[in-house]
Amino acid sequence: MRRAGRSTSAALTALALAVGLAGCAVPHKRGEGTIDKVAATEEQVASIYEDYREIRNAAIELLDPKPLSTVETGPVLAIDTGSFAVAQKLNRTGEQETGPVDVARVETPRFTQYPLWLFAVVRDSDRDIQKLQIFERATAVDPWLLVASPEALATTKIPDLRHDGSGHAIAIKATDKRGMAMSAQDAADAYAQVLTDPDRASSVGITEDAFIRQMADVAATNAALDGVTFSQTWAAEKVDHVLRTSDGGALAFVTLLRKDQYIVPTTRKITWPEGSPQQALLEDGIQGSSGNLNYYHQVLLHIPGGNAEPRAIGQYGGVVQGEVGFGGQSVDDTSDDE
Amino acid sequence: MRRTIGGWALIVLGLACALFGLVVAVLLGPDGRRTTGPHAVDVDGSVLVTAPDAIRWVDVKVDILVEVPAEKPVFVGLGNTVDVTNYVDEVQHVEVTSFGTPWKPKLRTVDGEQPTVRGAPTALDWWLGQSAGLGGASLSMTLPDEPVSLAVVAVGSSNLSGLKVTLAYGVKGGFYKGLGLLLAGLGVALAGRILRRGEPVLEEGAVEGDLDDVDVDEVVYLYVDEDGVEHQLTEEQIASGEFDVVAEEIVEVEEPEPEPEPEPEREPEPEPEREPEPESAADREPEPRYFWVDDDGVEHELTEAELADLGDEYEIVDDEDGEQR
Repeated sequence: MRRAGRSTSAALTALALAVGLAGCAVPHKRGEGTIDKVAATEEQVASIYEDYREIRNAAIELLDPKPLSTVETGPVLAIDTGSFAVAQKLNRTGEQETGPVDVARVETPRFTQYPLWLFAVVRDSDRDIQKLQIFERATAVDPWLLVASPEALATTKIPDLRHDGSGHAIAIKATDKRGMAMSAQDAADAYAQVLTDPDRASSVGITEDAFIRQMADVAATNAALDGVTFSQTWAAEKVDHVLRTSDGGALAFVTLLRKDQYIVPTTRKITWPEGSPQQALLEDGIQGSSGNLNYYHQVLLHIPGGNAEPRAIGQYGGVVQGEVGFGGQSVDDTSDDE
Repeated sequence: MRRTIGGWALIVLGLACALFGLVVAVLLGPDGRRTTGPHAVDVDGSVLVTAPDAIRWVDVKVDILVEVPAEKPVFVGLGNTVDVTNYVDEVQHVEVTSFGTPWKPKLRTVDGEQPTVRGAPTALDWWLGQSAGLGGASLSMTLPDEPVSLAVVAVGSSNLSGLKVTLAYGVKGGFYKGLGLLLAGLGVALAGRILRRGEPVLEEGAVEGDLDDVDVDEVVYLYVDEDGVEHQLTEEQIASGEFDVVAEEIVEVEEPEPEPEPEPEREPEPEPEREPEPESAADREPEPRYFWVDDDGVEHELTEAELADLGDEYEIVDDEDGEQR
């Protein structure tokens, strides 16, 4: 009888456990946490890239940048539209991306409100580079659009990012300068100042990197054109995408607008090499007037933790607009062109 | 003492669990949910949403049926609060600020510049669950562990006037979970009862398996002869090697029923001593009888006088039944 009691007890408990374990979820109330959401799930990221490549390949096939507006926006779209316009004028077809997309890394921060955005590293083995891309969804009814895509060498080490308790990258405000020599927005503005005047690098706290030297060389070459007055200005746009790095610093996606102005006397004419974007936009060159070429450059700035100076670790850019006659002046000069 | 307290604790805990399980099973019923409605909701515009903190339960199964008259197109969806809040931002809508069971919603009207939402709700990819239809739509899903909001949206240029909502909520498999809790509680209570009585819940060595699992009171060895008749053997016979054990059959011996709890012995009540009564003749000791046995073994009875005359010629010995010889 005693044994029967034990058996009954064990059987009842086992049966109850079996019934209970049939559905483990027990209703409960959520804690008083922040109302937020992860930018995108893995499936959504895969879908974003699938759509992006499909549309981009369609645009390349048609040699028409219009479809790109459904997957790109802002400076990226402007740069790509410029390159498509050049390709159209030069009747040059692009190459479709048919190989597998190698999305090496995806970081999806949490957001309490829109816009949502994510950071991805895509390897392009053909060009031996890595694209550091930002996809953004501005509102709940908008699609995911590529808004930044600076490029770095495949060997460039991207700084490690800091993650929250749930393993998601931490996005910070562009004005947040905690733990750094300057905020992301301040770094972008300072970087633009140095590009405008490289001599100011040390005074504004920016490391003179390869991109600054390259742009300075281009500006010096243009300024050396005989009889041509050349000026170049840089301006940083509002910084929207900043991630906290594990060293206490930040990774900032900065868009810079570069304006090159040429004032050419009537006795002079400047042209650009055949097949170049500038030649496609200013087909007849500039003569006896002024001409402007506007560029967008997207730069990935690493602002280290502590007092170290920011530096660029990747960039992508191109000419987006060209016009002649705006603010043109006549200059009395007899020297030859180019 | 400690066992008794532990036993009682288990009994109370088990019974509480069992009672709770019973209540859950009875309240939810075999389908594991409670249904309320349809309830009319006064919405002039085209959007009804729940406020960010209105839905805080997780893992609750919810079924919602929204109905509008005249076959108007209607949409119902559940999404992350960040998405839904942005979706209805600057849109005039009615917000459910809090909700009490079974149906106690608190509503407020939120002004907005736009009369309706910007994009068709069916075209959005962030809904965790959605449904649309003409005249009605229903949604059935389990609330996830993230902040969520429910949205009812009139599709196109229609509105939500005449909206009726039927709500069912419960736990997936709730009835069976309640039943499980009931059984578990009873099991724990029974274990507590056993513990209280000082019996081990698991017998010593019970986990070692095989023969150890079985109560063996004694081993009986049987020898079956050619005629099929069984003969019991002793352990010594087995040990002598005369017989081989060819088969083992374990016969579980039923345990004796537990004896009732020993009650404290009652103090014997004092009884008045009776006066000793005089012995009756029947109670007197019988007088001794004497026998003489001759050489042929024939007994001859003697009187005490004859015995005295014989003197020491004969030896007196006691007989087994008290007679003297």
